[in-house]
Amino acid sequence: MNATAPMNARPLPTTIPEYLEQLRAALKGADPAMVQDALYDAEEYLRSELAEQAGRSEAEVIASVAGSYGAPEEVAEIYRETEVTVNRALRQPRPPKRRSLPGRFFGVVADPYTYGALFYMLLSLATGVFYFTWVTTGASLSAGLLILIIGVPLLLLFLMSVRLLSLVEGRIVETLLGVRMPRRPLYTQRDKPWLKRLGELFTDWRTWTAMGYMLLMLPLGVAYFSAVVTLLATSVGLMAAPFAALLGHAGAGIYLDGISFSLADDWRIAIAAFLVGFLLLFATLHLARLVGHFHGWLAKNLLVRDPVV
Amino acid sequence: MVDSEAHLKKFQKELSAGTVSLVLLAVLARAGEPLYGYLIAKQLERTGDGVLAGKQSALYPVLRNLEGGGLLDSFVEPSVSGPPRRYYRITDAGRQVLQSWAAAWRATRDSVDSALEGIPA
Repeated sequence: MNATAPMNARPLPTTIPEYLEQLRAALKGADPAMVQDALYDAEEYLRSELAEQAGRSEAEVIASVAGSYGAPEEVAEIYRETEVTVNRALRQPRPPKRRSLPGRFFGVVADPYTYGALFYMLLSLATGVFYFTWVTTGASLSAGLLILIIGVPLLLLFLMSVRLLSLVEGRIVETLLGVRMPRRPLYTQRDKPWLKRLGELFTDWRTWTAMGYMLLMLPLGVAYFSAVVTLLATSVGLMAAPFAALLGHAGAGIYLDGISFSLADDWRIAIAAFLVGFLLLFATLHLARLVGHFHGWLAKNLLVRDPVV
Repeated sequence: MVDSEAHLKKFQKELSAGTVSLVLLAVLARAGEPLYGYLIAKQLERTGDGVLAGKQSALYPVLRNLEGGGLLDSFVEPSVSGPPRRYYRITDAGRQVLQSWAAAWRATRDSVDSALEGIPA
């Protein structure tokens, strides 16, 4: 496993940014969240090694690291492989794919991410309100105070807080919806002057898309929450019809805008209502899973930054 | 010759998949204090041999996935030499898992050793 540096490898980089650049090139096309993790890990190792071997030049340290940590191409290969094997070993196995149509329809109850998505839809009202408030308050406060000198640090703090919040939201999305998101803050470009790094807060369009995502979370959160609560309440209510009939609550039913459907008067109607409610419950679970997929896709596209090195 | 080397590489890869997780848990259980990726890699470099002498970049994804499985937890602290460091320490669940893994490892090692008895090294 050691000492098998590929012969066709590019010349070894001489600076840490160059090393990270090569690693990023070697991981081209891989999951952006994984690329971000790989770059972060490599930078931590390289900087620690450099600090440890004070007195040696950056190029010498990188040359020695290529043996222990791996050359960029080897590291890329390892991440592509390890990510797959380790995920397979430690993740809960996905439920078996069902072939039959009823199997696929009712199989949704066995998928843990269905409940994750359901919970996410309920939670999104709270997080949506919080993100929206944070972004509107932060933006208007720092923009308004820009005419005073205090507005400048406030604006920078606000932009950094948006990055932090998008990392937190990423963790929530990965846990509940099962979409791979970065687990590390992006932390590179230490060699660039701090003014340039601050400037990149503004020129990096992920800062702005993340802000858009947070504004969007308010309407989305309200919609998700209302949909889940309404659909769950309706389906459970319909399923309760036979029990209402059993307990003698004749006349129990649904009242909508002056029109009433009584469900508990007739046994046949009560049973039919139960079946409709049962199907609606499963349809709701499917909807939750669908929303989970959609939202995971949205979060990935708006929150995960292209790692620039 | 080339063929046997390819077989060896494949075998080492398969062998390292589980043992690396076991060793990382053991290192963190013995350490008594939280460690970050680089320190863990250096500890393994001193003592590691065989499949554990592989590239140290392979340790990071495993650490992260052990954390994802609840066997480790972690916190971030700033450092002067580079990006903030993520320190790992073993959880109670991790210690329990380590015990059962260690038992499984010892049983496997003994039976593999007895199967290999008499085969020239």
